[in-house]
Amino acid sequence: MNTEGIALGIFTLAMIGFGFFWVIRLEYHLGYLWWPYPLVLGILLVVLSLFLPNAGWSALFGIAGAVFMWGSTELKEQAIRAELGWFKCNPQRKPDPPGVQWIKRIKPPHM
Amino acid sequence: MALEWSGFCMALATFLGIWSGHVGVRWIEAHSVRIVLPIVLFMIGGIGLNLYSLFAPNLVLAGVSSILGITFIWDAAEICRQQKRVRLGHAPANPNNPRHAAFLQHGSATCDDLLDREPTGQPVVVTTADANARTSSGDTTDHTYREVQI
Repeated sequence: MNTEGIALGIFTLAMIGFGFFWVIRLEYHLGYLWWPYPLVLGILLVVLSLFLPNAGWSALFGIAGAVFMWGSTELKEQAIRAELGWFKCNPQRKPDPPGVQWIKRIKPPHM
Repeated sequence: MALEWSGFCMALATFLGIWSGHVGVRWIEAHSVRIVLPIVLFMIGGIGLNLYSLFAPNLVLAGVSSILGITFIWDAAEICRQQKRVRLGHAPANPNNPRHAAFLQHGSATCDDLLDREPTGQPVVVTTADANARTSSGDTTDHTYREVQI
């Protein structure tokens, strides 16, 4: 029997669970305008997975990358949920991300 | 230098699994009169894919099938959570679905998609009373406008 596949499935479940956590925290403390940064991190992890010598590590990096990419598409919706009162809304001004003037010109990805 | 494609395959399975679940769960919940059958089907599919992964001939097939299997099981739970969101008005109700029509008559459900807006950076107050009254009067139009007051 090959239990490595199930282990990767459980790792995916854990990463999605962690995704819920960091999307809520990142939106609360920094704001949804930071969305390009987890997206780029996710893309980098997937690209890096192509160059790893071990298939297991490559799989872990690929899964983590995909979850970060997905999380970046959730930040805008999370901001709206917080504004609607479904999640805790941070009343303080949030810091602008580096390159905010370019980020504001791009529509945040949304699935 | 040979590239290691395992990670890319897993990434694709993960992203497409989450995306299809995200979109599919909303559609299935909105169009199913009873949600028990889709939940059972997702559970059977998820458990079946995980069982297959135990006997898959290589890591990529084992990983991809388990990732999709786990997301199917997650989707089964999400159908219940989606129904709760619709009941609370956090997701748009389908007035043509008798189960949703009952939510619209009894609770705070609405046909409007409250997430279909741009963030303002300020808390907003949503008025759903008008939307509910409209639906109760038999108006089954797909309302794409928003009723958000700042």
